[in-house]
Amino acid sequence: MTRKLIIIASATVTSLVAIAALAQQQDHDASAEGLTVLGEPVTMEEIAVGRQLYAESCASCHGANLEGQADWKRRLDNGRMPAPPHDETGHTWHHSDQDLFTITKNGVEAVVPGYESDMPAFEGTLDDAEIRAVLAYIKSTWPERQRTFQAKVTANDEDRS
Amino acid sequence: MSRHSYPALTRRMFILGSGAALGTSALPMALRAAVPADSAMAVVAFDGDALLAAGSNLIRSEDNGKSWTALPVPAAILGLATHPAQPGHLFAGLASGGVVLSQDGGRSWETRSRGLAEGEVDAVAVAAGQPDMFYAAVRGDGLWKSEDAGGNWSLAIDRPWLEDAERDPLALASVDLATGMGGIWIYAGTPAGLTRVPDCFCRWQDVQPGDAMDALVAGDTPPSEAPLPRSEPVRALASALSAPETLYAALPSGVWTSRDGGVVWSHVAQGSASAVAVHPADEKRLIAALDGVLKLSRDGGANWTTLAVA
Repeated sequence: MTRKLIIIASATVTSLVAIAALAQQQDHDASAEGLTVLGEPVTMEEIAVGRQLYAESCASCHGANLEGQADWKRRLDNGRMPAPPHDETGHTWHHSDQDLFTITKNGVEAVVPGYESDMPAFEGTLDDAEIRAVLAYIKSTWPERQRTFQAKVTANDEDRS
Repeated sequence: MSRHSYPALTRRMFILGSGAALGTSALPMALRAAVPADSAMAVVAFDGDALLAAGSNLIRSEDNGKSWTALPVPAAILGLATHPAQPGHLFAGLASGGVVLSQDGGRSWETRSRGLAEGEVDAVAVAAGQPDMFYAAVRGDGLWKSEDAGGNWSLAIDRPWLEDAERDPLALASVDLATGMGGIWIYAGTPAGLTRVPDCFCRWQDVQPGDAMDALVAGDTPPSEAPLPRSEPVRALASALSAPETLYAALPSGVWTSRDGGVVWSHVAQGSASAVAVHPADEKRLIAALDGVLKLSRDGGANWTTLAVA
């Protein structure tokens, strides 16, 4: 009796693990509903990768919870502005996907000539797919209003291009 | 960054030097004697077709400057803004600190400074497309915004950084040109020249031709530019709602205009200009204070008529 119970229990556990793994795989493959970066749908796996990359490469300045540096609207003593939040309280969602990608890859000066910023260019540190994943993660945290606004900004930017 | 002081500018000297010339105790009244020219010219504005000039007092003309009425002000006015969607609403920044709003053309005022930093308010603006969105530049502090016509204020962004120092905006103008970030621009005149910030307040930046980056990337010849004289303060700025690419600026060298959003400027009036404003529906109709005298132009600054403030 006991042996049978053990077999049944083991089978049940194995099945549950398999189902969970399958669900997780499907979850990772699944696109985040309505979310795109540079015109391509975002997957849940990209968001997970982006979350990890953000923690490693961005959070030290922009905050573990995307909250930005303290008092970020006030200039630093070196004349530069602190790292802004990337959540809905900041202005990141006012910028198009292409601008966000360019700023991350090549620095702020790539979109505002002559502008001095403490943010480095991440080219050589993150590849294009990784930058895209970071942006996917950041965008996934925005409320609907900010997502919709930023989607329009991105669409207008694409139209101009 | 911390507050700092700097030499008083001509516009403030107008006020401080002549603040008591008229006084406001007997106001309002129709002005019959000539008003000392520099007592009311810190700022000028249009309220619809009415002309306004303000400093230590406020004067208003309903007949293109033929006659003027003096109106009371709670303190000397450093900045003044109106919006055609709200006729009779005057939004003013005060030398004593804080901002006030009049909803009856300047006859009475109420304080609208909740949450605003203390300090002289050198410049104010109303957003071109949002008449309840107010901006105020607090000296030594930064640019503040109110989304409810001054009911509540929050810091928008620190002061601009130009020539290795923070600079106080002396003038603000909401310019209805797209930033590419879902909004429009706020231009600022400073002691060190012109700058601008998108209304998402991401960063102050130089005025650049819209296709400057495209040319840079393509290796093409950069678009032509003719900036304002770099050695002069920009004391006043005006953007034409009827033609947002058209800007006017008041500098010690005179009145300047741009037809392309501030990339290429030309000199349209000689003399020390302390104030300029443009009619909300006619980008060629201007009022300016030049060499301490109020002047009107109906052709974008090519010709000027001196207004007798009497």
